Amino acid sequence: MFDTLLGVSFTLLALWAVLGTLYRIVTWVRTPSPLPIPLTPAPRTRLGVVGRLCLEIFLFRALARANTVTWVASILFHYGLLFILIMHMRFFFAYLPGWLIPFVVWSGWAVAAAVVGLCILLLRRIIVDRVRYISSPSDYLHLVLLLCIVLSGYALKRHWPVNTSTVGEFLRGALSFQWQPLPDGAVLVIHLVFVLLLFFVFPISKLLHGVGIVFTPTLNQRENVSVSVATKKGEHSS
Amino acid sequence: MNTPDVQGVADQAQVVGRYKVIPLIQEGAGESFNTAVAESDVQESLGLPGTLVDDWHDKAIARLGQLLKERRGLRVFMDTCTKCGACTDKCHYFLGTHDPNNMPVARQDLIRSVYRRYFTWAGRWFPWLVGARKLDKNLLQQWYTYFHQCSECRRCTVFCPKGIDTSEVTMAGREVLASVGLGQQYSQEIITKVKSVGNNLGMKPRALADVLENLEEDILDETGIPVRLPLDEEGADMLVVTPSADFFAEPHVDGLIGYAKVLHQAGIHWTFSSEASEAANFGLFTGQHDHMREIALRIRHAAMGLGVNRIVIGECGHAWRVAYSFLDSLVGPMQFLSKEHPRAEHICEVTHQLLQQGIIQLDPTRNEGVIVTYHDSCNVARGSGMGNVANGQLTIPRELLKASVPGFVEMSKDTVGQTTFCCGGGGGLLTDDLMDIRIKGSLPRAQALQAVVNSDQVTHLVAICAICKTQLSSVLPHHNLVDVRVTSLHHLVGDALVLT
Ligand code: SF4
Ligand code: SF4
Repeated sequence: MFDTLLGVSFTLLALWAVLGTLYRIVTWVRTPSPLPIPLTPAPRTRLGVVGRLCLEIFLFRALARANTVTWVASILFHYGLLFILIMHMRFFFAYLPGWLIPFVVWSGWAVAAAVVGLCILLLRRIIVDRVRYISSPSDYLHLVLLLCIVLSGYALKRHWPVNTSTVGEFLRGALSFQWQPLPDGAVLVIHLVFVLLLFFVFPISKLLHGVGIVFTPTLNQRENVSVSVATKKGEHSS
Repeated sequence: MNTPDVQGVADQAQVVGRYKVIPLIQEGAGESFNTAVAESDVQESLGLPGTLVDDWHDKAIARLGQLLKERRGLRVFMDTCTKCGACTDKCHYFLGTHDPNNMPVARQDLIRSVYRRYFTWAGRWFPWLVGARKLDKNLLQQWYTYFHQCSECRRCTVFCPKGIDTSEVTMAGREVLASVGLGQQYSQEIITKVKSVGNNLGMKPRALADVLENLEEDILDETGIPVRLPLDEEGADMLVVTPSADFFAEPHVDGLIGYAKVLHQAGIHWTFSSEASEAANFGLFTGQHDHMREIALRIRHAAMGLGVNRIVIGECGHAWRVAYSFLDSLVGPMQFLSKEHPRAEHICEVTHQLLQQGIIQLDPTRNEGVIVTYHDSCNVARGSGMGNVANGQLTIPRELLKASVPGFVEMSKDTVGQTTFCCGGGGGLLTDDLMDIRIKGSLPRAQALQAVVNSDQVTHLVAICAICKTQLSSVLPHHNLVDVRVTSLHHLVGDALVLT
């Protein structure tokens, strides 16, 4: 019964996260962009724009120019988390594929990176007066939530190992509307509940920023592109 | 532009140090610096309420909602800020005042908190959790204060990992304020003048013609060469639209003489227009797109009336941003211009091209003893381009200067180029009643300048923006930088020009 409840919640909240994100994207895209406001010097070609966005999305270029400590912490945390996420793909295969093995073996390091990064960000938020001034409770809680997810996951791996194939069945079941039982274990449930909470806040919070960058006019518009051309392609409507 | 009364302001001299020292925040430090609210006749002549309307709360929320639907930038910026703090020490007004509301993200939060409260689910139900606030009188006052302590320079955008443009938020804030009756006197009055007379100064065509005639005589006396400053000449090839400060203010007017000398030497048939005797467009500052469009339309209209093939913009920062980035969107493509020059050009790119083609010659020895440093204007560096080459807005002015003077020195790297510090007086802040904030906001620029004065004995600070020139010449003395001359780029070009 409890298992089914968790399974159904997982299904619903995963849907909520995906649909919520899509809804936000649609709101952004449907809002007209009356004047071109690229931050110059800006790329002049579409390929250039893709390059600029990639630099920002994968290397956090602006942050690197702005603040080294925040940049290092953000890189550690985001890439640590990405690594862990990829590791979780194991639950979608009945047998562990070869390419996933390094991710499973080294995930401890990824956890360390993510935790160190998150802790620096949290400390910075508490210690630096400027950052404290602009922080709301939710800004701290986002970091705490991510820490809880990473640490409970690590605890599962190290101290309360679970049967990975049963977890896999549970997850695949939840995503294909054929709910399966979850292996026993309080820590697993705790980990899962934190993740569900993340699914819930994702589309209604700043956590969407990674998607938002793509739609940011200062970064995704080209320089010196006459609007007569751009309007035809629906880029700026005036 | 007005000519600020430097003596009339209490001496605010500050110790010039290194800008890299990040101050601790001091809440309320900038609270008392306010700019006068627009008089009711000014507001009303722009079709806006004369005084704060009774139902300002509902009206303001409704207007904000409308802007959120009309401007994608604003909408995305409201959603994507992670409060990472990267921008917190990047604004010159924060560095100068230490007021936390002058941190770019905190400035955005003045609106973001309201956005969350009225337009998001989380903010409506859990305001305390996500920092959502009701719009009350107190907050409205903070909007007025701190949206007029932002020069819309976009330096913060360069450092924001999400590309958030605080100037768009400031413009939206000012737009909403004006729509409930709280316009800014300085900017709104200028908009009424440019709409009724043709320029920000309210200078009538007859007066303008006199000024130009006198200048022609001056040049003749000085050089013995009949350099012309034509007005409203039909059939001219080129229309030059320049900020009206160029017609009379120091050091702007020497730049104007420089344009005339260059165009004379190149044998170009050009003219000013009395209808479009102003390049500046304060509609950008107030965020009112309809005003911006109306002001920009005059240029199109004047160019068509005179039958010119080219439009050239003089040394003005935000006018160049409007001309380079917005003109097509505002007034439509200008098919009547020649194929070789299909868009508005900057006077610097015109001069640069003439120099490269060997049509004009510059002789730096004519500016003997001059050691310059160059202040990139925010709207040029971060809001436009120049000359169809990548980074042209940064390289072309420098190349012209290097060809015109014997000594050229750069200020510290993170205070020039794309990361240039604003002069402290842009975005509608160049008014006497904001003198305190202008002095404080110019601190980082003054510090960077002081460093090259000490190390390289810099004698001239060059800018290509009317606001920068007025602002810097009036605030530098407050930073004990009395020996550096603020100069128009085309003044030095004009002096170096081999004129025949
Ligand atoms: S740098 Fe950008 S995302 Fe970070 S706090 Fe400032 S505005 Fe927000
Ligand atoms: S746009 Fe310029 S003045 Fe405004 S907050 Fe950003 S850095 Fe400060």
